[in-house]
Amino acid sequence: MKIVLAKVYAALMLSVVLFLCAIAPADAGEELVLIVSAQSNIDPLDSTLVRKLFLGLTVNHLGSRLRPVLNESDERIKELFLQNVVSMSDSNYDRYILRLSLLQGRTQPVVFKDKKKLIDAIAADPSAVGYVWAKDVAHDAHVKILRVLWHD
Amino acid sequence: MPRRWLSGVLAALLTSFNASTALAEHEHSSSEFEVFVAAEGLAGPGQPHRRDDDSWFNADVIFGMTREKFRVFGEYFITPEEHDLERFQVGYELVPDTMVWVGRFHQPASGWNTEHHHGRYLQTAITRPTIENWEDEEGLIPQHITGVLVESRRPLGREAGLQVSGGIGASPTLSTGGYSPINLIDNNPGRHGLSLTARLAYLPEYVGTSSTGLLYGHDHVFLRSAAASAALGSSRATLGIYGAYADLAVGDWRFIGAAYYADIQLDGPGRDESFVSGYIQAERQLPYHLTAFARTEDSARMQKSRYVSLFDDHSGDIDITLRRLAGGLRWDYARRQALSLELSHVVSLDKRAYQARFQWSAAIP
Repeated sequence: MKIVLAKVYAALMLSVVLFLCAIAPADAGEELVLIVSAQSNIDPLDSTLVRKLFLGLTVNHLGSRLRPVLNESDERIKELFLQNVVSMSDSNYDRYILRLSLLQGRTQPVVFKDKKKLIDAIAADPSAVGYVWAKDVAHDAHVKILRVLWHD
Repeated sequence: MPRRWLSGVLAALLTSFNASTALAEHEHSSSEFEVFVAAEGLAGPGQPHRRDDDSWFNADVIFGMTREKFRVFGEYFITPEEHDLERFQVGYELVPDTMVWVGRFHQPASGWNTEHHHGRYLQTAITRPTIENWEDEEGLIPQHITGVLVESRRPLGREAGLQVSGGIGASPTLSTGGYSPINLIDNNPGRHGLSLTARLAYLPEYVGTSSTGLLYGHDHVFLRSAAASAALGSSRATLGIYGAYADLAVGDWRFIGAAYYADIQLDGPGRDESFVSGYIQAERQLPYHLTAFARTEDSARMQKSRYVSLFDDHSGDIDITLRRLAGGLRWDYARRQALSLELSHVVSLDKRAYQARFQWSAAIP
């Protein structure tokens, strides 16, 4: 009897695990996107300009200087940003960013640990450029997507 | 007294530099405040007195503010023995990545200092090559100039870039023991000659960190003390610096090296002189946030130069290093904090020594 119960219990647990896997938000189809304020008239930026922007060099659009915003709300986003945008390791990028202030007094990009605050900040500033998961801004009318930086 | 008004100015600047910068405030200005700190232990004969950059503790305070195309930028270096406003520059960005600065700046014709400045955390090795020493470390090349600096980075083809920097201003005076550059907050006795410095660099990648290029410096230096004039047989010297450098990152490797030819022309009966100095440092990133490094420095004709001997203050320290072989390990054990160990063999003007250094360095915040 105990053996039968154990088998039923194991089957139930397996079913629950399979069910959770099926309904969990799948990584498949995830997209990391570059966003700006909906009020902004910034055109889509090519990958070189995006890299230049996040490496602290000057990128202007219609006379206005664009301001990079770093998203550190999610370890996976940080990893994808380092791999796909700046092509540097975490420590190398950190040292590079630190150098900016020493070299020319350049300002380091602003860092956000909270994605809602980041989206709100970008929505409020037409010169700010950041990146988030596409699903986090899918129904947000205050920001618009400039380009896909990475997709699964 | 001048220190008092400086404190006021600094306090005003620092309070206006809110590090959280308020992107959401939606104003088109931003500010920067960074402190690089380092503490060092040194073991070995021949260094009974610590030099400024080698002091047991130092802090390099960086403050900057950008508003539209204007920038204000400063670097204040503090050790137990000194505190100096090393750089203070006001700049305007003419076109993207082309800045015109007015103020006291680090001359651009240096392969090492234009990359690391006073921030010890950003350099992998603990020591800097002797030829790149600052004026208060018995440095042989004037490094702090007050005047106008132009810096520009232009694209070259699809990927590469060209970096041009040129400075014109007042060079330091010289007396026995070293140069005295213009001090923005204190008296400046003596006559300051003209300094022209330039750097032309090729960047394999416009947005990358590697570069290689040519360096040029031309400094009229007036001697401030009778003893220095008597030793050289001249009341002034014209220092011509011709150099080349490379700073290349290749995968986990980084190579940084420079070679300088210094031509010293003396006014009067003194005989003209020249010397050569150079170094190469290799760095290799290893697992566990470790970085190994090794550097060799060498020179020619420095020990025979009367000009170079002026910088030896006979304090018993190792002031002028003719040759050095150094190696060590850096461990970035936490975010923006590192521990470093450096072992070196030094040949100076009058002695040879082994040295061991241990350093903790960090960047705050």
